[in-house]
Order: sequence, then structure tokens, then C-alpha cells
Amino acid sequence: MNIVVLYLLLLKASAMSFSGLGSLPIVRNDFVVERHLLTDRQVNTAVVAGRAGPGPFGLYLVCIGYYVKGTPGAVAAFLAMITPAFLVLPLMRWLGSCAELPLIRDSMRGVLLGSAGLLLAASVPLARDAISGPFTLAIVVASFLLLSFTKLESVWLMLGAALLGLGAKLFG
Amino acid sequence: MSDRSLGKLTNIFLRVGNTTFGGGYVTMAVLGRELVDLRRWITSEDYALAFALARVTPGTNVIAFCAAAGWLVMGAGGAVAAVLASCAPSAALAVLILQGIESGSSHRWVMGALAGTVAAVSGTMWSIVAWLVRPFVKGGATKLLRGITITGGAFLASWKFNITPVPILAAAAMVSLIWRDAPARAVAANEGGAK
Repeated sequence: MNIVVLYLLLLKASAMSFSGLGSLPIVRNDFVVERHLLTDRQVNTAVVAGRAGPGPFGLYLVCIGYYVKGTPGAVAAFLAMITPAFLVLPLMRWLGSCAELPLIRDSMRGVLLGSAGLLLAASVPLARDAISGPFTLAIVVASFLLLSFTKLESVWLMLGAALLGLGAKLFG
Repeated sequence: MSDRSLGKLTNIFLRVGNTTFGGGYVTMAVLGRELVDLRRWITSEDYALAFALARVTPGTNVIAFCAAAGWLVMGAGGAVAAVLASCAPSAALAVLILQGIESGSSHRWVMGALAGTVAAVSGTMWSIVAWLVRPFVKGGATKLLRGITITGGAFLASWKFNITPVPILAAAAMVSLIWRDAPARAVAANEGGAK
């Protein structure tokens, strides 16, 4: 497949979705059903690889690109993934100028409070997976307390938790 | 405010974007803590605007959020730097993980480190919920009740009824608009009367 076509197909999938994995049905249709370039197993593996590491869930697109065209395909997919994000800039410019209006300010307050609720809901399945015993429960509680009551930067917390998890695996 | 630079901005997005597990909400919330709370490079109102607009921008929301937040701090250069720094290394890592899966290798140590990190992410998410809600529930029982109603309602709508984020955020904005602070309502009424 031509690299430009690959970019355009993945750009279409990315631009027609509103979340990281929202593009999955379009990708599956284009690459598995229509063009037979990938199998369902490969698409699933790409999703797993995209979610296994840090970063957005949409990273699976990079793995799709890699499957189709190797490293150049991964680069094309990365560009297709980030291109629609820049559409936010004209929106920011336009709406930012009226951010002080009470109407906008009150709406934004609702959005922030609503996003807190969404974050809480997203944490439920993650916590179910994460808390496998007293050790991981202790990490959860310690993380909450450290970030709530100190100025510790989150990267150090993540690093410490990774080292504790590694230690538990090695010596546990 | 004067301590901002493209290098420092890139460093923040590089660290947060590539060490935060759990998806876009977590990354956006951690970045909010870094940019609003710790460094005060952007206001909480700008953060809310970037968050809301990222939700309605096509594509991966957290990347749009990075573009918006980077733009707020350092203009167009900041937007490009934030986007590239926040997800290029983790994209490369995703390909490496894919290669690892395909080669059938199992990384016992990596899985151990991952388990610790995922646990820390849960604690991080709860502390960020508290951080997001705190400024809006201070100052009286009415604000507290409004905060609990909107946050709790959004939580239930998503967790219990599986409603997608965009309508939930739209409803939260509507409730917040209707349930305004008393002085704001009075000012609005006066403005309406003056017209």
C-alpha cells in the first residue's frame, strides 16, 4: 500500500472519531474487511500493544501502521493520529476571547465538575484491575495521599511505584 | 510566570505524557496539576476551556488537549512541541511492545513494574478528582451541593448507564449554567434589565 494512502486512511479514521479507540470500527472496516491487509487478530494485538504502555489509547493506530508498512507506516500513522488535534487551536482562539463571559465561565465550571465525575468512573475498572492484594492497595492509598497532600511530581510517584512493583516481582 | 520556556514545556509534556498510564483523562488531569497547580502557567479557566474543547475535537482527545495547553503556554511552537513530546516516545514504545508480543517474549519484570504503576495511577486519579472538585465546592452549602450533584451525576451517568462523555459534559455545563451563584444571577438579571 502507498504510504500516502495509508496516511489518508488512518487520518480518515482518526478524524471521524472522538476518542482514542473510537476509530477502531473504521480501521477494522478499511484494513480487515475491505482491503484484507490485516487480520482481526492483528488489529486486537495492535490495540493491546497500544494500551500496554503509557500514553493515549489511540496509539494503537501507530501499531496498525507498523503492521501495514513497517517503520514508515508507523510514522505515517503517528502523523495521521496527531493531525486532527491541531483543529483545537482555531477553536481555542475563537472561544478563548470570550472566556470571561459569565455564560462561558459557568459552563466551564460544569464541564470541570463533570470531568471529575468521568475521571472517577474511569478509575473504577482500573482500580479493580490494579488492586490485587494488600501490596497494591497500599500503593493506591499512598499515591492518593502523596499527591493530595504534598507537591510531589507525578513522574517520581510513577517511577517509585514501578520500582516497588519490580521489587515485589523479584523478591516477593 | 516568567520561568516558562519551550524546553521546560517540552520536558513537562515528555515526562507526563510518557509516564502516565490509564488513558487520556489521567494524562489531562496530571497535566492540569502540573500546569495550573504547581507552575501556574495557565489558569483553571483556561484549563477547563482546553479540556472541554479537546473533548469535542476529532481524534484522540488528550493529543488535542496537549496542543491546546501547549498553545496557551507558548503559542504555536508550544502546541507542536507539546504534541510531539507527549506521545512520540510512547508511540515508539507501543511499536516495541508490539514487536515483543509478536516475538512471543514474556517480560516478567516489566509486568511487575507495570502492576505497581497501574496501582499508582488509581491513587493519582482519585487525588486529581479531589483537586478538580475542590475549588468549586468551597464557600457554602449550595456550592458543595452543586459540586456533588454535577460530579456525582456525571459519575453515575458514565459508570452505571454507560453514557458517552460528550453528552455528560454538555449536561454538566447546562446544570452549572442553570444553577448559578446568587451574585452572578443578580448581575445577569441587572444586565438583562439594563437592556
